[in-house]
Amino acid sequence: MTANDPNTLLPRRPSRLVPTLAAVAVGIVVIAATAGLPIDWRDLGTVPAQLVHFGGLMFESPNWEKLPRALTEMWRSISMAWIGAILCVLVSIPLGMLAAGSVGPVWVRLPLRGVFAVIRAVPEVIIALILLTITGLTPFTGALALGIAGIGTQGKWVYETIESVQEGASEAVRAAGGGTAEVTRWALWPAAAPALLSLALYRFEINIRTSAVLGLVGAGGIGSMLANYTNYRQWDTVGMLLIVVVVVTMTMDAISGAIRRRITRGPGIARTTRTALPARTTRSRNVDRVR
Amino acid sequence: MNTDQHRAEARAQLAASASWSIRLDDVSVTYPNGTKALRNVSLDIAAGEMVSVVGLSGSGKSTLIRTINGLVPATSGTVAVGPHTVTGLRGRQLRRLRGHVGMIFQGFNLADRTSVYRNVLVGRFASTPTYRNLLGLTTATDRELALRSLQSVGMLDKVWTRAAQLSGGQKQRVAIARALTQQPSVMLADEPVASLDPPTAHAVMNDLRRVNTETGLTVLVNIHLMDLARTYTTRMIGLRDGELVYDGSAADATEADFERIYGRPIQPDDRLDR
Amino acid sequence: MTATRTDAKPPSGTDWQLPPRPSTRLRTALIIGAVAAFTIATCLPAIGGVQLDFGALVSHWDNGSGLLLQLFQPDFAFLPRTVQPMLETLQMALVGAVAAALLSVPLTLWAAAPTNPNGLSRRILRAIVNVIRAVPDLVYATILVAMVGVGALPGLLTLFLFDLGIIVKLVSEAIDSADHPYIEAGKAAGGTQTQINRVTVLPQVWPLFANQWLYTLELNVRISAILGIVGAGGIGRLLDERRAFYAYDDVSVIVLEILVVVVLIEVASNLLRRRLV
Repeated sequence: MTANDPNTLLPRRPSRLVPTLAAVAVGIVVIAATAGLPIDWRDLGTVPAQLVHFGGLMFESPNWEKLPRALTEMWRSISMAWIGAILCVLVSIPLGMLAAGSVGPVWVRLPLRGVFAVIRAVPEVIIALILLTITGLTPFTGALALGIAGIGTQGKWVYETIESVQEGASEAVRAAGGGTAEVTRWALWPAAAPALLSLALYRFEINIRTSAVLGLVGAGGIGSMLANYTNYRQWDTVGMLLIVVVVVTMTMDAISGAIRRRITRGPGIARTTRTALPARTTRSRNVDRVR
Repeated sequence: MNTDQHRAEARAQLAASASWSIRLDDVSVTYPNGTKALRNVSLDIAAGEMVSVVGLSGSGKSTLIRTINGLVPATSGTVAVGPHTVTGLRGRQLRRLRGHVGMIFQGFNLADRTSVYRNVLVGRFASTPTYRNLLGLTTATDRELALRSLQSVGMLDKVWTRAAQLSGGQKQRVAIARALTQQPSVMLADEPVASLDPPTAHAVMNDLRRVNTETGLTVLVNIHLMDLARTYTTRMIGLRDGELVYDGSAADATEADFERIYGRPIQPDDRLDR
Repeated sequence: MTATRTDAKPPSGTDWQLPPRPSTRLRTALIIGAVAAFTIATCLPAIGGVQLDFGALVSHWDNGSGLLLQLFQPDFAFLPRTVQPMLETLQMALVGAVAAALLSVPLTLWAAAPTNPNGLSRRILRAIVNVIRAVPDLVYATILVAMVGVGALPGLLTLFLFDLGIIVKLVSEAIDSADHPYIEAGKAAGGTQTQINRVTVLPQVWPLFANQWLYTLELNVRISAILGIVGAGGIGRLLDERRAFYAYDDVSVIVLEILVVVVLIEVASNLLRRRLV
């Protein structure tokens, strides 16, 4: 039996030294980071009980009397999000197109992309805080902040979309004697328009969440209401506000998501062929990103 | 000792279980969307036979083979494998039964990013408690069986390779090794060579036949190519539109029989070697 | 004889027999009308809209330009004071991402169809994840600060919850849309769903996880920098304090620091992603 023992005929096992060392190194860094945090880890044990306690205070009997005001403030946040999205899209589509490889010259493209990257790296709240000091604690400032902050990511998505348009139509326009402007208007724009529209709606979805955040730092809307009632520890109202935020956000996400799918799928599909479509339309990597 | 002898010895050492019969009694399968895949099929396969199931796509071959290990439940009728009745089994009993039935697939169904070794160890699922798998522990028996299976199909030198780096024929061999690691009493093969080129297809069919003749394992092969069915199997079952239309010797099947099974004249595509 | 081009005219005595032109005019008009109505509704302060005040922007610009100028003149002498809070920010980001990564594996497998055949438990988990994702990060932070007090703990909890929502949703969707032929082989061999998941599925979907874990790490650094504004630890607290004192030269140092760290993390994460995936 041992003459044919497969164990003696085995090839050598590939070395797993490098991945193991890397894992150990990462583990050490993580443990060091955890130990260095100024947290009393005994507090961690009490967290579940506290969550249950406060959860009860918030949701056992939410304060529905303040609902009308909450809805008005929610509309304010949605308005901020909408106007911010419009401002952002109006600026980022032309700038993004200029930053696309097939449209703008290098000396325009690179600085533009740099500006996008810088705006992207600065958190929206900071942009909002700075703006608030200039133009005051109003929802309009919030809308402006959302508009400006979004240019970074939106511009990037625009030039990525334009660059991913297939060559064929542009080639045809150039062959007929068109210049860059014509190519953009007749080849790039029609191909990219559904995706750009879908991304614009997605910006609106993101903005709804961010507008609540801006409200927390003073721009108005449901975030302000939330900040106030949390400060006063009025948990029944806080619970009601949370429910409003969750329900409205999820509803707007669903509606916006449905419209986006319709846009990218196209309208002319007869009912009989719908089952032939794949269950999911292709999504660009970035569409799933939160910000 | 040359490698062929190594392989034959490994195969002999693997065969620890008795071989089982397969019986279908008036089995019908209707899918939830209304498709009738099998209609009143009855067949009796003795232990140790090597049987091919021939028919066009949509004739019910895939459904038939999957009723034997319960991957598709029979809507009516009984399926029995060896001393066990498959219909009506669920949970742990079904899994235990599946441990005795080895299966290979047209698409190989290997985990591409995983090594050949781990893929073959999948064959030990039914006999390993879950906690061992969670911690990645293997017993000496598991290891021994896996290595011997690989040796018996001649893939031992690729044991640590990622499955994605293998060719189609090599992948199917690894799949056979995976099934052999179960020490099965029945071997099922669903279109095992449909994705392979002719020389490789012959090699894999040869491997299956060797498993049958050397260890006496009952083998059931789904195949749509007439010459392979005639060359490698002794008995042939013909299915058309879910119904049994032929049950007899594979070598004696005439072209007329095949035309009856296919429901249309023979085409060049129905043969592997043109 | 050369052929001469003439303007296209229908053959004399007849009309072009064109097929009917599909008219999308009505549909386009409706869509534009709806969008316009929506936009107008968002601009009415009476029902909670935004008061568009571009005029204020222009008039306040003079006020603001002085501040903005200060913003572009960072006071680097302030840098040493930012080190400790920045470190806390990075620690929160890392530990939050790791904790979420650990818990995300079982939860994601629970939420995906190939790995969890039980439709009911899947739908319940998905619903919970959707609710978690509907709440913005700073809202979690604000409420958690009021619950457990000021410091890094509410920040950590915020990041943990936020990341978990993102990872579970995105990776489970990716698992759903990929093919898993080896699952059938595992079932045919008599394996339990857990065995199949652990031995065959997990190695296959590991790149999907790694991708999202790196993404949440990037995201965390950006978020945790501002969590401090509501008291949840990190450099945000310092930022808000300096801003309240109108010390914009200090503010700009902090913002620059955040910028540099975020860009570094993005670059590092892109490199890692290419090596791992």
